[in-house]
Amino acid sequence: MSAPEIPTLRPERLIRRGLWLSGVGFLGLILVYVLALTYAPVEARQGLAQKIFYVHVPAAWSTLLAFSLVGIASATYLWLEDRRLDRFAAASAEVGVVFGGVMLTTGPIWAKPIWGTWWTWDARLTLTLFLFFLFVGYLALRAAVQDPEERARFSAVVGILGMLLVPFIHLSVYLFRTLHPQPIVLKPSAPSLPPEMLRTLLVSTLVFTVLYLGFVTARYGLALEQELREQGPDAA
Amino acid sequence: MLPEPPHNGGYLVAAYIVATIILLGYWLRLLRLARRSR
Amino acid sequence: MPRSIDVVLAVAGKDIRAELRSRTALLTALVFAALVLVIFNFARDPTAVSAATLAPSVLWVTFALAAMVAMNRAFTVERENGALDGMLLAPIPREAVFLGKLLANLAFVGAVELVTLPLFTLFFNVSVWSILPGLLAVMALATIGFVAVGTIFSAMAVRTRFAELLLPVLLLPFMVPPLIGAVQTTTRLLADRPLSEMVGWLRLLTLYDIVFVTLCTLTFSSVVDE
Repeated sequence: MSAPEIPTLRPERLIRRGLWLSGVGFLGLILVYVLALTYAPVEARQGLAQKIFYVHVPAAWSTLLAFSLVGIASATYLWLEDRRLDRFAAASAEVGVVFGGVMLTTGPIWAKPIWGTWWTWDARLTLTLFLFFLFVGYLALRAAVQDPEERARFSAVVGILGMLLVPFIHLSVYLFRTLHPQPIVLKPSAPSLPPEMLRTLLVSTLVFTVLYLGFVTARYGLALEQELREQGPDAA
Repeated sequence: MLPEPPHNGGYLVAAYIVATIILLGYWLRLLRLARRSR
Repeated sequence: MPRSIDVVLAVAGKDIRAELRSRTALLTALVFAALVLVIFNFARDPTAVSAATLAPSVLWVTFALAAMVAMNRAFTVERENGALDGMLLAPIPREAVFLGKLLANLAFVGAVELVTLPLFTLFFNVSVWSILPGLLAVMALATIGFVAVGTIFSAMAVRTRFAELLLPVLLLPFMVPPLIGAVQTTTRLLADRPLSEMVGWLRLLTLYDIVFVTLCTLTFSSVVDE
């Protein structure tokens, strides 16, 4: 039975900072939309729909970031048994679901005009779907386990196993597709991007990272606040 | 004369709106959770 | 402190004997697998898609579902009479306990698969005699993958409120790589393709097994120990 921890930052400050940071992120998002519509050129073959790329790809980055951090936090938790790592992993998983949702909605909306179909089992979409399911499974497990210590241990195991599943999914999809090449009408994001497109993409990636950090910070603060409240006035 | 790019701006608008709604919706959820505990 | 290998065999032996004594779980799992095969037969349009095309997928989805159902009950009985907790009080290596449970589950799921296979050949009019060694090898490799992750997840799920729902939700993503590998290899086996076409998939299956058996063995103690 570990002694109640003394939080290094009061939860209210974390929540406030997180909300403010993500608020700044939303201002950045407006900037991204403006840049995408005015600064970045229109792609000749794909038309305006190509610009979904400036939201879809950074969302993918955030989802993958969220997922990797859940995995790393999980592994480190089993080693150090620091509850803060578990709290962070839970926050990152929830935020990962949000960005995964953005990916799984913008992806088909982009695919329909470009490839003529809402869904395709290409590497990126398939992997995102899996990450989404892994996140959901992770959160479902957390909801089903009452004891906080047991929940932390179980989540950590799933986090580690999930992190190691990803390369296998990637490999399976790759092997599958090299043998069953799907007809691709147009390949999005050609390797040589014009500089305006690249810059817009980079700005958007930065914005999405800021959004991730803001969300996770606020979510972490909320989890910490709830835990302290549950421990009651006799804590510390 | 280059061919005109396809008219698919509707998809772009839809995607941007959906993405914004999801992100903003989550932010509002966080805000509501924060306010509820005051 | 007993030798690890003795613990492994003891745990496996105990579970297998318990299963053989009651047999109800085994029979129920077999009936389940048979029913799944029947459902698949009616779930397709025979004029549109030939049985041969669909056969590998049907076989492996059936195996995957049967494995999941079988493992779901694997820890339930023990939990009910506290046998697992009792065993864990002893200073025996957790890794050995896991491997013992893994072996027992393998035997159980393997038995279900071996009995389902002839039923499959009957219902779908597929001949597997000529490819039997290869098919058995694939079955072994893929099942190890299913059971390794399934054993550790069922150890977790059984301690929760919604074990029957939680286990599939957690486990199914992990069953996909062995499933893909198994279906691809079985398809090629049935089409009499040369071994060179299957090597990539077999390597995937083997690598998956090595990685996940190791990982699950190492993390098992985090699941059962406070």
